[in-house]
Amino acid sequence: MKIDVGDYKGNTVVSLGGEVDMHTSPVLREKLLVLIREKPRRLIVDFREVSYIDSSGIATFVEGLKHMKTYNGRLQFSEIPQGIMEIFSFSKLDKVFEICGTLDEAVSR
Amino acid sequence: MPDNRLSELEKKIDDLQMLMDVAAIISSTLDLSELTALVMEKAKQVMRADACSILLFNRKTERLEFDLALSANARDGEILKQQVTLGLGEGIAGWVAEHREPVLVKNAAEDSRFFTRADNLTGFTTKSLIAVPLIGREGLIGVAEILNPRERDCFSGHDLKIFLALCRQVAVAMENALYHKDALERQRLRQELELAATIQQSFLPTSPVMELGPFRLSGITIPAKHVGGDLYDFLEPVPGKAGLFIGDISGKGISAALFMAKVMSDFRYQAHGTVDPGVVLKRLNQQLSDSPRGMFLTAIYAVADQQTRSVSIAVAGHPPLLRVAAEGVTVVNPDAGPPVGIVDADFPVKELMLNPGDRLIMVTDGVFEAKDRDGKRMGFDEIVSFVDRNRQRDNLLALIERRVSEFASDAERADDLTIVEMRCGA
Repeated sequence: MKIDVGDYKGNTVVSLGGEVDMHTSPVLREKLLVLIREKPRRLIVDFREVSYIDSSGIATFVEGLKHMKTYNGRLQFSEIPQGIMEIFSFSKLDKVFEICGTLDEAVSR
Repeated sequence: MPDNRLSELEKKIDDLQMLMDVAAIISSTLDLSELTALVMEKAKQVMRADACSILLFNRKTERLEFDLALSANARDGEILKQQVTLGLGEGIAGWVAEHREPVLVKNAAEDSRFFTRADNLTGFTTKSLIAVPLIGREGLIGVAEILNPRERDCFSGHDLKIFLALCRQVAVAMENALYHKDALERQRLRQELELAATIQQSFLPTSPVMELGPFRLSGITIPAKHVGGDLYDFLEPVPGKAGLFIGDISGKGISAALFMAKVMSDFRYQAHGTVDPGVVLKRLNQQLSDSPRGMFLTAIYAVADQQTRSVSIAVAGHPPLLRVAAEGVTVVNPDAGPPVGIVDADFPVKELMLNPGDRLIMVTDGVFEAKDRDGKRMGFDEIVSFVDRNRQRDNLLALIERRVSEFASDAERADDLTIVEMRCGA
């Protein structure tokens, strides 16, 4: 799994690639929690290159979201490929996470 | 033969004998501490030295730690183990570890690398020593040292050769023993997981079939290699109702098994005496809202009325249900709440009227996310069309399970697989 942390128009963007599953999510968790410790107002996750996500991967984001909610931070998902979107809509995760089409849409919200 | 040649030969025979003895010791045990103690005691004895030690390289801290230190005073070993560690490049052992080269020090007092603290702590006086790196297939294991030859002022080049030969064998043996230790630990963990899986199974209904009025509830669950988090339950929440619950906990392993146990007991507590499945899921959601590490549960809870054959269904982020009727299969994807344990939410209730012979089938994602040998996933649509093709068959659950197993073929099953059915009898 690829994890790159960058900046888009002054916002922290975590760009992921490959499979986010029980084998790779511990690394993601570590990076995510380090970022959240800084209490960013907004954290955008770019899913463009993600090929699969399982429930361990989703739980990692749920944990991040719960931390961010304590200080009213926002965790936004963007650029979600079709296959991943199906997993999210099956799980009704659009009721949990802020899902945006593009990075621009995320920053404009 | 002159005396000195004779004693030289005798010495060589002794050395050879020692190496053979060491080889015998090494092949006799896989216990690391027993092995190092026996070998080093032998080395000390044959090389006629006052003391010897083994320091192991801790890869996490990148420091050398005393594993064994043998001298006339048994207390020295404990002091060194408890109070002394060396960084790479620190002291002679640290230098050997850093450079991966053996060293023969004739006079420690004159060697600037010498680390005096160990002697100060124990009261031992190091005069001459040999230190050799122990290197295995995966790099540095540690450093072996032998100190202060008896009846001589310092060690010789010949002593170095012998100690090197011995340490080569020791390194291989230590590596084998470490692998063995890891293998034992893996075995222990596997046994723990097997035990967890057995305990987890005991939370599921004792019989995979339950008859309640006209309804026949059945379930099948096959855990993945690792302990997973699928669950299902049959119950009569109030007289005259038949309840069917299916759930999938995020993650795997012992944590998922423990969380599953909590979910089962919380669910049974909430479901008892309550008819509305949406209310039960809402209360369960509130109870599990502080779940650790973002763990959550996707679930469907269906409550059927034994008189009217109507079914109330509430869904929490779970894959859709299949309604199997004589004329075909329909996917029931009602308005649903998010998975349980994440955010405060409502769980709308969908009402369905079942006709005699109708069946509701619910699965966990392990069913349609099974991968074949090429990494291709089965997909939900394939399950729907498979069920449709086989809708006249009686044993649909077993057929679905077999279909998934055939699809996954040799591929290791990564997720649990659970299928439940609510069948409305005549």
